[in-house]
Amino acid sequence: MTVQIEQEPPQTLMSIEWRITVNSMMRSRRGMALATAAGSLLILSGCSAGTEGTETDVTSDAGSTETPDSSAGGTCAPEEIQLIGQVRNETNPYEKAWLDGGDAFAESVGLTQTRLTYDGESPKQQEQLRQTLSTGNPECMVLNVLPNGDSDTAPIVAEVDAAGAYLVTHWNKPADLNPWDGHDTWISHITFDGVDAGAQIADAIFEEMGGEGGIIALQGILDTSAAKDRFIGLENSLEANPGITLLDQQAADFDRTSAFNITKTLITKHGDEIKGVWAANDDMALGALQALEAAGMSDVAVAGIDAVPEAVQAVADGTMTATVSVDGPWQGGIGLAMGYCVLTGGLDMADVTQEQRAFFARQTLISAENAEENLTPTANLADFECGNLFDRVTGPVS
Amino acid sequence: MAPARLGQAPPETGRAPARSRRRASLLADYGPLGALVLLCLTFSVLSPQFATWGNLRNVLDSAAVLAVITVGLTFVLMLGAIDLSIEGVMATAALSVALLIANTRNDIDLGFLAIVAAVALGACFGLATGLLSTGLKIPSFMTTLGMSAIGIGIATVLFAGVQPSVTSPAMGEWASGQWFGLTRLTFVAIGVVIVGLLVQHYTRLGRYARAIGGAEDLALLSGIRVRRYKTIAFTFAGAVYGLAGVMVTIQLGSGIVQAGVGQNFAAITAAVVGGTLLSGGRGGVLHSIVGVLIVTVLVNGLVLIGVSPYVQGAVQGVIVVAAVAITAWPLRQRLRVVK
Amino acid sequence: MSAPAEAPVLAVHDVRKTFGETTALDGLSFEVRRHEVVGLIGENGAGKSTLLKMLIGLEQPDSGSIALRGEQIKMRGIAQAGAAGIGMVFQEQSLIPNLTVAENILFGAEGDAIVGGMYRWKTLRQRAQAQLDKIGSTIDVDAMAEDLTFAERQLVEIAKVLATEERTNAEPVVLLDEPTSVLDRDEAEVLFAQIERLRTRASVVFVSHRLDEVLQVSDRVYVLRNGSSVAECVPGEVDEAELRRLMIGRDLEGSHYSEERQLPVQDEVRLRVRDLSVKGVCESVDFDLHVGEILGIAGVQGSGREELCRGIFGASATRGSLEMDGRPIRTSSPRSAISSDIGFVPAERRREGMVGTMSVAENITLPHIADVCAGPVLQRSKERRLADDWIERLRIRTASAAAPLASLSGGNQQKAVLARWMVSDSLKLLILDHPTRGLDVGAKSEVYRLIRELTASGVSVLLMADSLEELIAMSHRVLVMKDGRVTDVVDAPVGAKPTPVTVLERMI
Ligand SMILES: Nc1ncnc2c1ncn2[C@@H]1O[C@H](COP(=O)(O)OP(=O)(O)OP(=O)(O)O)[C@@H](O)[C@H]1O
Ligand SMILES: [Mg+2]
Repeated sequence: MTVQIEQEPPQTLMSIEWRITVNSMMRSRRGMALATAAGSLLILSGCSAGTEGTETDVTSDAGSTETPDSSAGGTCAPEEIQLIGQVRNETNPYEKAWLDGGDAFAESVGLTQTRLTYDGESPKQQEQLRQTLSTGNPECMVLNVLPNGDSDTAPIVAEVDAAGAYLVTHWNKPADLNPWDGHDTWISHITFDGVDAGAQIADAIFEEMGGEGGIIALQGILDTSAAKDRFIGLENSLEANPGITLLDQQAADFDRTSAFNITKTLITKHGDEIKGVWAANDDMALGALQALEAAGMSDVAVAGIDAVPEAVQAVADGTMTATVSVDGPWQGGIGLAMGYCVLTGGLDMADVTQEQRAFFARQTLISAENAEENLTPTANLADFECGNLFDRVTGPVS
Repeated sequence: MAPARLGQAPPETGRAPARSRRRASLLADYGPLGALVLLCLTFSVLSPQFATWGNLRNVLDSAAVLAVITVGLTFVLMLGAIDLSIEGVMATAALSVALLIANTRNDIDLGFLAIVAAVALGACFGLATGLLSTGLKIPSFMTTLGMSAIGIGIATVLFAGVQPSVTSPAMGEWASGQWFGLTRLTFVAIGVVIVGLLVQHYTRLGRYARAIGGAEDLALLSGIRVRRYKTIAFTFAGAVYGLAGVMVTIQLGSGIVQAGVGQNFAAITAAVVGGTLLSGGRGGVLHSIVGVLIVTVLVNGLVLIGVSPYVQGAVQGVIVVAAVAITAWPLRQRLRVVK
Repeated sequence: MSAPAEAPVLAVHDVRKTFGETTALDGLSFEVRRHEVVGLIGENGAGKSTLLKMLIGLEQPDSGSIALRGEQIKMRGIAQAGAAGIGMVFQEQSLIPNLTVAENILFGAEGDAIVGGMYRWKTLRQRAQAQLDKIGSTIDVDAMAEDLTFAERQLVEIAKVLATEERTNAEPVVLLDEPTSVLDRDEAEVLFAQIERLRTRASVVFVSHRLDEVLQVSDRVYVLRNGSSVAECVPGEVDEAELRRLMIGRDLEGSHYSEERQLPVQDEVRLRVRDLSVKGVCESVDFDLHVGEILGIAGVQGSGREELCRGIFGASATRGSLEMDGRPIRTSSPRSAISSDIGFVPAERRREGMVGTMSVAENITLPHIADVCAGPVLQRSKERRLADDWIERLRIRTASAAAPLASLSGGNQQKAVLARWMVSDSLKLLILDHPTRGLDVGAKSEVYRLIRELTASGVSVLLMADSLEELIAMSHRVLVMKDGRVTDVVDAPVGAKPTPVTVLERMI
């Protein structure tokens, strides 16, 4: 079980954004493996609602379904379509919200989503998909999948190719594996741009600071691409804001306690010069916030990334300046919607551009204005209409 | 009954047998302390902020949790055993205290009893480890590793996807308060260190831990209940890890599964740097605490003197090795086996 | 028979060595001439072992010089010493337990027994066997060192050091630190024969607390006291009493074994042993031990006497019945034996007798911590007083009660181990497995006196001793064991002690 964890590439980190815990967990792969093992325990004990494959029967309710446009190549009757969402864990708020988004979409078209979780175990993920593909009509299946790691994507794609089911993947894929290279039913791969997130929160704190003053930066685990990308975003914004000086930057390993201690030390070093704290995730931002509070520094702008509930609450309360959300419910719905539209003729694969088949999606900056509504994220069904599927594309995955 | 010539030094020796009244020192050798002092002096020269009262407070506050953990670990190490259960025990303790005190997840509020419960839970983990290790004769390496997995598992179940934040106002107020400029948690840590020292120095547990670590055969032949005292040592350590989990929860204001991540390795490093050897029988609480301070000062000092975060890891490694070399300096000429 | 007047093989000049506040060597000078056997005697802690360790490079002198075959040298370690032809048998045994006898004998000096990093087992065995043959030993070269008895291991050590003579072109120097302390008299004789043989091409330094041996094998004897040499004698010109006087600096008072203090046996039975068996080693042993009696147990290796004693103490599983003062007791573990007021001094000090890293005081109080505890809390000042008292009484030479036991000389460690059981007021039975092993003459007679005092206060003693002479002199009765059974009981009242030969005849 640890084997696949070790294969997990750094990007995976971003794929579990909302999970307040996960970043620091990366420091201990064993810890993570154990946690997922425990997660399965939880599932077995039936402690949480809606776990593995509940219902796959199709409720036919033509009234609420859009009429398929057969000229656009619809091949399945709507009621034949099976919608499947697969993530690691439901114990993680982000992934749970993702599946809830999928449910919301499925309900809107009168179907039920099959919720699959594989506890962060690559073999289990593969096995689940094989099972699923063999139990129905794969040609009418839509799979919205979070691959466990980069290396898991290729076998998933191969399996789905062979079965002829439609697939949308998120976060993890090797750079040289692309949907447009002969994978006809792999509709799209969706991920998020760390550089952009790093820059968005930087801009938010710079604005709060009035464009001048000193900041400190708390980096993540330095050898992860999430940490690297986000910090590049900060550097880009610093270039555009000459009034801001980066007083110090330290690695706090995405960890709250480290961030707390390092911030305390940096306060000793720089004192009141610190007007802003840029943190590569919310855990570290929250740690920094506590250190600042302890030092009685309440007017420092602090921002993080991930939109963990505690951070969103802090933004709503005004103690934190901003955080960035990737919108789990949207991810959970959008993949299913893409497949549904293709199968029902609402979307023609021929019209999907190369850029749309592997793209960075827009992430939302959560600031004082929109924090309240983001406390409990829900899917916006309008996003899932066949004409709006690619509205959030910000650019191709480079 | 004493023979007639007892008590008199043999007159014609020209040298009285050395019988100086050196007190039994808590710190058997001063190597680790030397390393710490050297480190502090170096940082003081390199950074004007290092040797300030404010920074001293920082260092002490940052060292608090690790110090508490290391006190518990020291007893296990003195036995010649190892403890890898720290992360799991702390995780369970963190989640349980957060769920038992006024919090955002449920309506339970046991107040101070929540802390007692979490510490007791930690002790149960230690007791289980001890019973398994001594009863089934499973090496502590395996039992504690298993306990860690169980602890993290239980914590994850308790976590259930939604993080409990502590809402108890009394707790919040207590945690943010200070005495003499130091956080109250630092005083908790100082208290634990003192208790650890007393236990080590003034109780059978401390004495037997060293005897068992030094020569288990002899301990058995001396009629010591080796199993019982091993179990007690593990239980004590577990309780202390539980307390550390509580401290992290108070510090962070919420219970997280990762409360102890990285701490197990840090504590073992600190203990060994301080001169509490993994082979058992040597070192003690004060040694380990000096080790904790070395590790903490190192992190603090490197940030203050502005070492780039990209090379900090490597620099830390080099300094830790150097510190251990200094630590071992007084022992260098003895025919000492190092494993 | 003194050696020809040429440059000494080894000359030590004015060396000094201190350990913290203890001066181990204090301006010592000493030389070993070609083909000479030099005896080295001195009280426990006089510095004998330190001197030898310095010669083999394990300790460095603080000042002074060492010359080997006329050249000033600085020994940096055993490997260098070995290459220069110096080998040593250590006082505390130094075999590696999980290697075979053959591997141990040639350890670090495998030579052609290793080719390209691989053991050539056949050569290794042959060469090891050759060494064992020299001392006429029948120990299996493939046995694991840890499976050997204490005495067997000592023989292996001696074989190991004899291998030095083949390693070097120059004539070797062999240092023997108390090689005979665990050997039987006839085993010792084999060793002496080897020493005689070695003399033709090597020089030997021989340390022993058995003065008769020293006089027998040495050409010259140095007497060490407090780290310096106080006399240099030639056997034949001095006798044991004279050496003893030189070592201690005064005459010993009273007789060596305090025989005049042997009280008549009381009628009351302290320990009644019936049909006691220890699986595979001793069978249906019956005896009564009276209050205040010293019962010696005689027997050769394998007679089962050690196992019998361990069985009584609960360290080995037994069948049969034990009665203490008329009440049946069960000693299923050392703990239960101790709570029945039995004490045990094991022969293997380093492994079972002491925690080297703990202080003298802590070692002394280990089994009776309750005496210096109030509940679970130690009363350190009480412990300290107790330890100081016993350090005084037994004249344990240590920097302080807080010094680690490992820093004491071998004999002083043994005294501390003895003190551990003597402190208990309620002690009823003390089992002594070679209690005077490694003790100097003075210390020995003090220990004998202490044992007598213990018996006078009603303690009964089961004794296994270094020599038959000692055993007979100390005991009221001698239990003779052979092949796991008691074959005879010999009375040994004061004034009518049997001769060692009488007892020996019954042993074999
Ligand atoms: N490593 C050490 N550390 C501290 N003191 C030591 C050490 N080694 C020896 N000593 C001290 O040096 C003195 C001489 O010790 P040494 O072992 O040479 O005595 P010895 O003559 O061999 O005695 P014995 O007959 O008991 O073996 C003793 O007082 C001993 O306590
Ligand atoms: Mg000696």
